[in-house]
Amino acid sequence: MAETTGGSSSPGTSLAVAVGGRARVLSWWRTPTARRYVFGYTLLAPAVLYVGLLVGVPFVFSLYLSLSDATVGDPLARFVGTANFTAALENSVFWTAVRNTFVFTIGAGIMKGLLGTTLAFLLVQPFTGRRVIRALVVIPFTLPIAVSVLGWKWMFDSQFSVVNWALSRLGVIGGYGSADWPVWLGQPNLALFSVMFVNVWRGFPFSAIVLLAGMTSVPPDILEAAKVDGANFLQRFQKVIVPMIAPILFIGAAFDTVFTLSDLSIVYLLTNGGPDGATEILPTLAYNTGIRAGALGRGAAISLFLFPVLLPLMILLLRTLRRRQY
Amino acid sequence: MAARGDGPPQSRRSKEMRRHLLIYLGLVPFLVIAVFPIFWMAITALKQEADLYRMDAVPFWFHLPPTWKNFDFLFQRTFYADWIVNTMSISFWVSAITLLTAVPAGYALARLRLPFAENLGIGIFMTYLVPAIILFIPLARVVSLLELQDSWWSLVVVYPTFTIPFCTWLLMGFFKTVPFEIEEAAMIDGCGQLGALLRVVLPVSWPGVITSVIFSFTLSMQDFLYSLAFVSISEQKPVPLGVATELIRGDVYFWGSLMAGALLVGVPVAIVYNLFLDKFISGITGAAIK
Repeated sequence: MAETTGGSSSPGTSLAVAVGGRARVLSWWRTPTARRYVFGYTLLAPAVLYVGLLVGVPFVFSLYLSLSDATVGDPLARFVGTANFTAALENSVFWTAVRNTFVFTIGAGIMKGLLGTTLAFLLVQPFTGRRVIRALVVIPFTLPIAVSVLGWKWMFDSQFSVVNWALSRLGVIGGYGSADWPVWLGQPNLALFSVMFVNVWRGFPFSAIVLLAGMTSVPPDILEAAKVDGANFLQRFQKVIVPMIAPILFIGAAFDTVFTLSDLSIVYLLTNGGPDGATEILPTLAYNTGIRAGALGRGAAISLFLFPVLLPLMILLLRTLRRRQY
Repeated sequence: MAARGDGPPQSRRSKEMRRHLLIYLGLVPFLVIAVFPIFWMAITALKQEADLYRMDAVPFWFHLPPTWKNFDFLFQRTFYADWIVNTMSISFWVSAITLLTAVPAGYALARLRLPFAENLGIGIFMTYLVPAIILFIPLARVVSLLELQDSWWSLVVVYPTFTIPFCTWLLMGFFKTVPFEIEEAAMIDGCGQLGALLRVVLPVSWPGVITSVIFSFTLSMQDFLYSLAFVSISEQKPVPLGVATELIRGDVYFWGSLMAGALLVGVPVAIVYNLFLDKFISGITGAAIK
């Protein structure tokens, strides 16, 4: 066993290490601890460098781009201050996109929470065929997103929509051509509802599975104890399950919000922001401005407006992760 | 709640049956809404063109004989075969990069008791949450600096930005479950740190490694934004982008082939992803559960 004199925790100082009964002076970096550190940071370096270079640097670069007049065609960007941000704030389309982004995220989030909770309560019960049913119910989340959105686009077809066919036969709506035949992706209010619906369809299994993971992680003896103490089902849910799974719920909600906020494929493929801006959200606006119209600086500025929304969420998440020792 | 838990076995059984029935009834709407789109895509893919556009007949079944024509169209008249090869190649390289970086990183963070390991781990994981929509414009510059625009190699460079954080976090969890003793035993037997990692820890952590590969594959297939932004040449597209952009010509939608192309990759991915879903969830929530 190496015996150290002096502060072993202070790097840079040399230590006397007893080797075979004789004290030898070793420089700090040759001690086992130092070797472990060097080894460890060497193993970490590729991942940290990759993520740093392709997430960290681009993030900083997007801050810079947002302050410049960079375009796709012109590599020489000039500093324009906050012009891109003020231009965005003065644009009415931008405000429509902000409003839609909030409606979309919050509305869909609430729906996913409600449906997910219901589904989780059903799936947590023991019953025959649970595994198969669970596997079927989570299909929407596991299907590649572009694939499922294309499916919905066809189901929402203005004329040959199977949804409308069914509703019409059930007598909920009239036949094709009648005034109450909904054109899901073509009427402003219905279009926003439709993109939210697809997002909810894709997201509710995720909410359910996260909740389920939380519920099954609550030790049964604690629930049993609460039962013995006379707590009824709702009390047990409210006083035992919810507080215990709160961090998981929170992480699930944060993930879902980030996925929803940053995902453009549903809107892009279903409506591309239309009709008449009714489904424009910040991601589609940033994409259409930055890439399609080529105004990189403008696009970067628009996408950065998402950050103030996401930042508090990420800070809270960070604190949740740190508080819990893993 | 008429009969409460007591009574003869007969009523207990009928109570059990009633419970099952209630659960199934509750699940039916969820099942229908989850599975119907798949059914609809499958039946569309196999229908003849004329059979798709009928408003008089029940659309849920065939009125003209089923056909493979839509699949033929995909392989003969589009670059679908190229898209599949591209997707597989992208996923292969992304997995390779991810394993080479995330395995050592996960190991170092989980087992080497480094200072700041916890913060570094959280830091790496948090980058998974930086939305692609903020990164894709500057990444477009990176891609063009590397002269990879319009090539699927651009996606090989970009996708590890989300697979590395996720897999590092996941592998950290796996490595933590390997007992320290076997590693120490290996080192006493003369292995170095690296030897212990390669010869002892890695072999017992192979489920974690496989899970990481699966997620590198499936997460790569979930992307749409980056491929849309970086690749616009038909032959270079991955499947989801190719299907979504090449089978729609102006106002004309090739619905049969669209659905065929979507299903052909969608269903295998959904099945594999489903099998590993619990691992995915524990990867996301792991820190909170343990």
